[in-house]
Amino acid sequence: MSKETNTKEALVKAAYSDVNKFASNQEYDKAVKAVNRILGVAPDDQTALHCKVVCLMQLSKFDEAHKFIEKNRMNGTLIFEKAYCEYRLNKQLQALKTIDEAGMQPLPDKLKELRTQVLYRLEKYEECLEAYKDIIKNSSDEYEDERRTNLSAVAANLALDPNKDVPDVP
Amino acid sequence: LTPDMEPIPCKPLFFDLAMNYLEMPSLEDKLESPGKKGASITGFVKGFLGWGGNK
Repeated sequence: MSKETNTKEALVKAAYSDVNKFASNQEYDKAVKAVNRILGVAPDDQTALHCKVVCLMQLSKFDEAHKFIEKNRMNGTLIFEKAYCEYRLNKQLQALKTIDEAGMQPLPDKLKELRTQVLYRLEKYEECLEAYKDIIKNSSDEYEDERRTNLSAVAANLALDPNKDVPDVP
Repeated sequence: LTPDMEPIPCKPLFFDLAMNYLEMPSLEDKLESPGKKGASITGFVKGFLGWGGNK
């Protein structure tokens, strides 16, 4: 019995080391196979379940990742992952619901960024503009230029609407 | 009978920045070597300082 436990532990450890190696090389198809080896002996391993979701998403398998989150009842923990899948599956209203119903205050940066992109897809440009101004004010990372480009896209869409004023883009 | 050409607005460029936040969970406690090595080094240093302090 204890020998069996040892074998299982060794297998899980070896598989995790593979997951780590493949993921850092961005070989997510191989990483998924290693994760599956863990889940084969430890189907409830939360870290492994989380890894599998991230790998599937990196492989653009958003439908599969979304179903996997729901099947393994990770709706309450993998909020960002679930909402991002919905965003990419073009379920914008559901994505907004997932983020807002998580009731996180204050919203973590990654959910703020995603929520703002969802607002853009929903064509809620005024709310989106305010959200971007807030993110730009409070962030300092390597994506400032891209974020300003997005802000300009929001402003361009507002400018198309004759009933709305063209906003000042800071 | 071809209609006149008319300009239409182009679709603005829009980046997906949320994807950059997608990360693997920390595997630190799942991997053997780095954690254990770190512990033994600090253990050694602590022990060494402790021994030095007692003297």
